[in-house]
Amino acid sequence: MTKHHTIVTSRRGFVRGAGALALGLAAPAIGRAQGQPLTLGILTPLTGAGGFDGPRMLKAMKAVIDEVNAAGGLLGRKVDLVIEDDQTNPEAAVRAARKLIDVSKVPVIMGTWASAVTSAVAPLCWESKTFLTTVSGADSITLLPHQGYLIRTQPNNHLQAGKHAEFIASTGAKRVFIMSIQAPFAQPTQRRASEVLKQKGSEMVGGLVYEKEKTTYRSEVDQALKTKPDLVYLNGYAPDVTVILRDLYRAGFAGPRFAQSYAVNDKVLGALPPEVTAGVITVQPSADIDSPAFGLAAKRIGLPEPDSYETQATDWASLVSLGIAQAKEATGTGLRDNVRKISQGGGTKVYSAVEGLKLLAQGKSINYEGASGPCDFTDIGDIIDCKFRYNKIEAGKPVFLKIA
Amino acid sequence: MPPIFFEVAQLVVNGIMTGTILAVPAIGLTAIYAVLRFPNFAVASHATIGAFAGYVANVQLGLPVLPSVVLAFLAAGVVGMAADELVLKPYRAAGFITTAIASIALTIALENLVRFGFGNELRGYDLPLLRDWRFAGIRVGPQQLQNLAIAVAAMAALFAFLAFTRTGKAMRAVADNPMLAAIKGINADVVARLVSFVGMGLAGLGGMLIGLDTTIDPLTGFRAILSVFAAAVVGGLGSIPGAVIGALTVGVGEELCLLFLSPDYRSAVGFTAILLVLTLRPRGILGQRAF
Repeated sequence: MTKHHTIVTSRRGFVRGAGALALGLAAPAIGRAQGQPLTLGILTPLTGAGGFDGPRMLKAMKAVIDEVNAAGGLLGRKVDLVIEDDQTNPEAAVRAARKLIDVSKVPVIMGTWASAVTSAVAPLCWESKTFLTTVSGADSITLLPHQGYLIRTQPNNHLQAGKHAEFIASTGAKRVFIMSIQAPFAQPTQRRASEVLKQKGSEMVGGLVYEKEKTTYRSEVDQALKTKPDLVYLNGYAPDVTVILRDLYRAGFAGPRFAQSYAVNDKVLGALPPEVTAGVITVQPSADIDSPAFGLAAKRIGLPEPDSYETQATDWASLVSLGIAQAKEATGTGLRDNVRKISQGGGTKVYSAVEGLKLLAQGKSINYEGASGPCDFTDIGDIIDCKFRYNKIEAGKPVFLKIA
Repeated sequence: MPPIFFEVAQLVVNGIMTGTILAVPAIGLTAIYAVLRFPNFAVASHATIGAFAGYVANVQLGLPVLPSVVLAFLAAGVVGMAADELVLKPYRAAGFITTAIASIALTIALENLVRFGFGNELRGYDLPLLRDWRFAGIRVGPQQLQNLAIAVAAMAALFAFLAFTRTGKAMRAVADNPMLAAIKGINADVVARLVSFVGMGLAGLGGMLIGLDTTIDPLTGFRAILSVFAAAVVGGLGSIPGAVIGALTVGVGEELCLLFLSPDYRSAVGFTAILLVLTLRPRGILGQRAF
């Protein structure tokens, strides 16, 4: 009420107000932008298959941006997030991305999760010179002609297979057999693992690709055991790995078995007798728990141990903030050209966006070390290194081995 | 003896094991086809229902395997009879395509009911897992031998029922010539209910046998249905001994192809074999006479 009164108290005041408004509308956009918030786009699955990870990634990104805003924002402006739900569905994701790009005119879209969604959204991004950050793992994504407008913090199959092979060789296994489910990652994983095993003095004595959804894999197990392996790498999903673990046990194989932790999850451990899973080694990408950035992220999000997705989201928001500050403009091209200047190289190591922003303001060069890993990127946008968490199953429960 | 001999022998043994288990639901499918003249794809969900009924009996009620298997048969049989009476029967007048499609809808609905009750996770039976026995270089699992025995016993009981009992003979009569059977005073409705009970009971038993060897989830039956259908068609849809022969052909065929090909071509080889059999003998190996 009072506000209303102040505007229309006098006729002169009203005319002045209306005149100012008209002038404001007529003025070029650049005149109005001064002091207006800077908007960044988030496109993440709040529903659908990614509905468990999306909201947690969103929370982690918000926490970073809140901290940046509390420290004075970016380029002298407050940062606002425009949030869209990709529904873990490429079609919905494309519509939402169009809105972010065409209506909100964001310089960056952060948070796509499913590989199918990222593959669908990426062309819109590079065509409109919008930067994209993602956790999608399919090798094909960074091979798209994205002209540098894309980075991902998730290790791709190539990096994973190489790291797995390094670990397997370090356990002393000399003869390794790989059983892979029929999937796009089957052959590339076997090829890369074979290369690295050889470099480390071990050997891949054989590999096979099996069909999914079979009720038994006895003959496949026979083929594997014929090569007398001392470790079997099971590169599949829970339903088939469960059957193979049983068949390996029946066949009398007592050596170590190695699998992704999503294939030997809690449900699998509950469904199988403990003697069948005893000694299985599981692996998953891990946050860099020894990094100071990890501790800061944990405090910021308010969780004792944020997981790989939450730490990756922390790193996107931090890298984007620092990239914009380094570029001195909030554009996709600015981010593309500057993100590697603040994420890698010989600058002072920093572990949070705010810490880095201070140094950048002083004209210093920085190297952001993330909560998910070192955040150093190849030319096509893949991370160069990351940590993995290894567990060993004992009495039907995963027991922590190491993060390396 | 050359090593290839042992390899082939092992593959044949593995194929017989898979084939025998496949034969049980295949008999169910073919028996229903023989009497009601439509392929009832709801065999998939009934295999799942049997597997879960056996799970409730074995894990939640703590019963041993044999009584659990009987319960799996009964539960799937009762659901099968009720579902046929309430859902599929009204469709039969509209022709076999309509009824077959209705059975696909039914199987998806029932599968989701199981999912609603038990969730999506994998479950295992309460069984000690035993290491395989080795006879002269050939590997055989005690659990699989037990499954083999259960499957063979169920098939023997079914054959005895069809050959020696009055009701069994009535079923065969309807399958062979429904018109003549009706003239003779055989009640086709009663036979339809009975064949649904026995057929779906066998599907449920088969589902539990598959589960005993692996783990179960709501997709257990659906994963097996293509092979079950193939077995029934190869043997001659409508022929009960044909279903057994067809299942063994599919089981052994899929294993033997591993001698030449990577395992990811297993299904492809199995189904190419089916095309071959059907090209040479369009009515299946044993034709379509029920028994």
